[in-house]
Amino acid sequence: MASAPASAAFSAARRRLFDAVFASVAPTTDLRLSRRRPGRDGQFDDDLPQSPDALSFPPAAVRWLTRATFGYSTLDLFAFNALGADDDARWQAWVDRQLSPATIDDSACDARLAGAGFTTLDRTPEQLWAAREAVGNSNYFLRMLPIAETECATLIRQIYSQRQLYEVMASFWHDHFSVFGWDYDGGPLFPPFDRDAIRPHVFGNFRAMLQATCESAAMMYMLDLYTSYSGHPNENYARELMELHTLGAENYAGIVSDPDDDPSLPTYIDWEGKVQRLQYVDDDVYEAARVLTGWTISQSTWETRNDPNPGAFEYVQALHDAGVKRVLHRNFSAGGGQNDGTHLFDMLAQHPGTAHFVAGKLCRRFIGDYVPDSLVQAAADLFHQRWTEPDQIAQVVAFILHSNEFKTGWGTKMKSPARSVVSALRATLANFTPVPDNTSTYTPTEELLGRLQAAGQRLFYWPAPNGYPDTITAWSSTGALGLTLKLLPRLLEMHQTESYNNAYPFLVDIQGQTLSAFPNANDRTAGNIIGFWCDRILGYRPQPTFGVVLDFFRQEAAATTPIDLVTDSTSNGQPQHVGVWHLNPPNTLSMHYTIARLRVAIGMLLCSPEFLRR
Amino acid sequence: MNAFNRRDFLKGCCVSAIAAGSGSRARAYFAPPPLLPATATDDTLVIVFLRGAMDGLSLLPPGASSPYRADYETSRTNTRVPLSGTGAALALNNTTWALHPRASGLHALYQAGHAAFVVAAGQVQPNPVVRSHFEAQSNLEFGVGGGGSGIGWLTRHLVSGGLPSNVPLPAASMGSITANSLLGSSDAITMNSGSDFRLDTFHWSWQEDDAAHGIVGAVSRMDALWNSNATLLERAGMETLDSLALLRPIDFGLYDATNNPDGYQPSGGANYALANNGGFGTQLRNVAQMIKLGLGLRAVTIDLGNWDTHVGQGNPTQSYDWFGNQVESLSQGLSAFYTDLASAASGNLMQRVSVIVVSEFGRRVLENSDGGTDHGYGNVITVLGGSINGGQVYGTFPGLASDQLYEGNDVGVTTDYRRVISEALIRRMGNPNIYYTFPGYSGYAPLGIFQGADLPPTGFDQIFKSGFEAA
Repeated sequence: MASAPASAAFSAARRRLFDAVFASVAPTTDLRLSRRRPGRDGQFDDDLPQSPDALSFPPAAVRWLTRATFGYSTLDLFAFNALGADDDARWQAWVDRQLSPATIDDSACDARLAGAGFTTLDRTPEQLWAAREAVGNSNYFLRMLPIAETECATLIRQIYSQRQLYEVMASFWHDHFSVFGWDYDGGPLFPPFDRDAIRPHVFGNFRAMLQATCESAAMMYMLDLYTSYSGHPNENYARELMELHTLGAENYAGIVSDPDDDPSLPTYIDWEGKVQRLQYVDDDVYEAARVLTGWTISQSTWETRNDPNPGAFEYVQALHDAGVKRVLHRNFSAGGGQNDGTHLFDMLAQHPGTAHFVAGKLCRRFIGDYVPDSLVQAAADLFHQRWTEPDQIAQVVAFILHSNEFKTGWGTKMKSPARSVVSALRATLANFTPVPDNTSTYTPTEELLGRLQAAGQRLFYWPAPNGYPDTITAWSSTGALGLTLKLLPRLLEMHQTESYNNAYPFLVDIQGQTLSAFPNANDRTAGNIIGFWCDRILGYRPQPTFGVVLDFFRQEAAATTPIDLVTDSTSNGQPQHVGVWHLNPPNTLSMHYTIARLRVAIGMLLCSPEFLRR
Repeated sequence: MNAFNRRDFLKGCCVSAIAAGSGSRARAYFAPPPLLPATATDDTLVIVFLRGAMDGLSLLPPGASSPYRADYETSRTNTRVPLSGTGAALALNNTTWALHPRASGLHALYQAGHAAFVVAAGQVQPNPVVRSHFEAQSNLEFGVGGGGSGIGWLTRHLVSGGLPSNVPLPAASMGSITANSLLGSSDAITMNSGSDFRLDTFHWSWQEDDAAHGIVGAVSRMDALWNSNATLLERAGMETLDSLALLRPIDFGLYDATNNPDGYQPSGGANYALANNGGFGTQLRNVAQMIKLGLGLRAVTIDLGNWDTHVGQGNPTQSYDWFGNQVESLSQGLSAFYTDLASAASGNLMQRVSVIVVSEFGRRVLENSDGGTDHGYGNVITVLGGSINGGQVYGTFPGLASDQLYEGNDVGVTTDYRRVISEALIRRMGNPNIYYTFPGYSGYAPLGIFQGADLPPTGFDQIFKSGFEAA
């Protein structure tokens, strides 16, 4: 198969040869055809490194914390440094502690959640169902409040929870079992999906999480399982169960007639000593759909309209296909009832294909887009061996975080738009409690969520069941990266309560933090200040970023000249926010609008490649 | 309309970098394969991707005198498009197929000879057939029938298609994330919305350049932050900043005499405001504006999603008709796009624009018991343009009787989607390198949908076969 040439050197050689050969044939050159746009030759060079030169790596602790949390923060680094004698010992202690989230005091985050005044997050499925039926079509805001509050609470936890690894993994599993949160029927029932199906199993057992997500109303609506009955199974859930939740497309063999007799399809002996196929085919999807008929939500259909506990999972024997089924070469005897389904989940959870697919995704999330398969396979083997253990996932995560690839690598991934926002808010010590908004004023929550949506990654907003992409290719698209670069500096300009109203404090007090870091006015030099913020946001002072931002901030002043960050000619009792206008003669740029300029400079740091790398 | 600043474009095109030799912003783009066809045109090819698998049997159902109507009615009850009464299908010239009643815009274009349909079209690769949305979409977009190479088929077309050096904006992927068909292309920009795609959130005092006072604003200084080829990330950042700079002078907002007098005014009364899928209408409007501005657009991808109708697909006799709403968005949007460009001040620009509407696969012939349809195989491809042989339905339909269905369930595929696209590439874009664009494809023959000259199809890499490089 022909493919695009692989290297610049190869293409250049071809071009030279081509020019030489055809120069004699076509002495005149049509300018229109002679060359591509200057600097752009049509196809990207694959030869650029994914990772920067090792000499420009940030310190190990910064790298590890950046990739295992929602972004580096100096507060995390202080805590990390107290954990042991050297980085390796500290990392061991940090991972151990993070894998036991209950032992971590999270009272500050809990207090912020309590202060947000959420009302729907603790409701049972029955209560949420009743609320949805009560509001009907009369009030969209109230109807969708459960998903809106889940979204805000998730952001608060990602920014403020000390249980960062737990939140990172919760986010991973939400992408894995991706449910579009704003489904008109499922959105009002969303909180138990997050609270009961995902979060209890974040570090736990995959098999348990798999069934819990299946039984949750949000997933039932997402993939239509609630309406899959004997005689007319709906294959939507069964297909995504295999393709996205367990075996993965990497183990899909397509449409094969008589798959049980096809020698080209490999098999293995499973945990019960039975022959199982390593790859699934379409027949397996159809049969799995029959296996799960009768798994539904109480009162979600005509047949279940009078059943108890509306909104909760319900197995209805009368709607289950009682016939013989055959999945992945294994027989399901007639009359298996609900055990058909639990047996299917066992088969899929213990399948080596599932282990490889899930382990591969975990490695890509923590390490990079191109992880050696040896590491993926080792993680997969562990996932497979421990499939019945209650801390199966914690063991696999620990294995990946202690791997040589994790500890020595850097920069082969970038922060996605949502992750870059959370990371920026963490690094700059923002004071922001997002809450669902139904007011006429333009609130920072409303603005932030709108801008995240524009950048392509509002939480729980991916419409398809495959979850947000997790590759640098996707998030470095001009559209996503452009809107991310637009969003990040704006975080420093947004105000509490009303995002465009100067009467309220900023979400991030750049000025105040700078003044407290340098209480002596003589220390407030451009060099000191940009150095401080580089350390705080990036964990080191990389070039050219440090120099570019420093030069912008100091303007014509020396890097050692103090800059006035206090005097504000326009505050009028409002929070100081711009500085002094200095564009009239003598037109001293270094004195012009210093307070606003500081925010712009820090915004530039947030727009640097070093901030977006992970 | 606002004046268009050529100098700003050239700035976006890095001409200054060329002037400075291998100067500060020299890039590590790779050199193109050099066999550029002298036949290249400046047409635009727009690929509309209906994501989720559009039900072609509902868009283009068998009509009254169709030999397939009886089988269709047997298979379709809740999703049936009737022939009379409320929601009756629209009859079409020269065919026994009919059109969904909400596709009135497409209907007018077809009757006028500006639209055509290809039935039983789809992917013959890979074998076995896949019914996974995500795999089927990427197979179609990579154009290699399985196993993504990271290079989309449109990228390979652009690389091999004879694009001149002075084209500011050769390709656009309308969305937040680049469509796979344009993956790997340094000629393409990706953007969800023209008016939103600009850097304007730094505090105003230090955002823009202000030469009078010597201010070099933050937006200009972003270039210095991303001025290296250190990694793939920096390269992507430079590409992003170039794209932002290129489009910065354009007002993508809709014209308003009071509030936005420099905004865009569609021609011919074109109405892009869709009742559903509003973003699709805006994106089509942005594309029309860029075509009118002469940015040199050669290839565009636009998505319209929400076609995965497993449950409650609806039918046009009902007041709530999901599929009908979708069809209306598609039809009205494309109709506005056609009207706008066909009545442009500079002439009928649709004569240089072709639109091909594809979906990853069709839906099963027999509807399910949830009033929906499950994943199928063969589907309808819709083609629009001012230089097509429209008003006809192309392709061989294998039939809807159970023994005529693929694997007993689905409409078969008798026309490879690559055949339709290849014809557009040759006859409209003037690029004969279709076997390079679609590796593994062979045996091309035109269906006759597009007007234009035939060229012997080639593989582009042929010339470099053994012995050449060693010389």
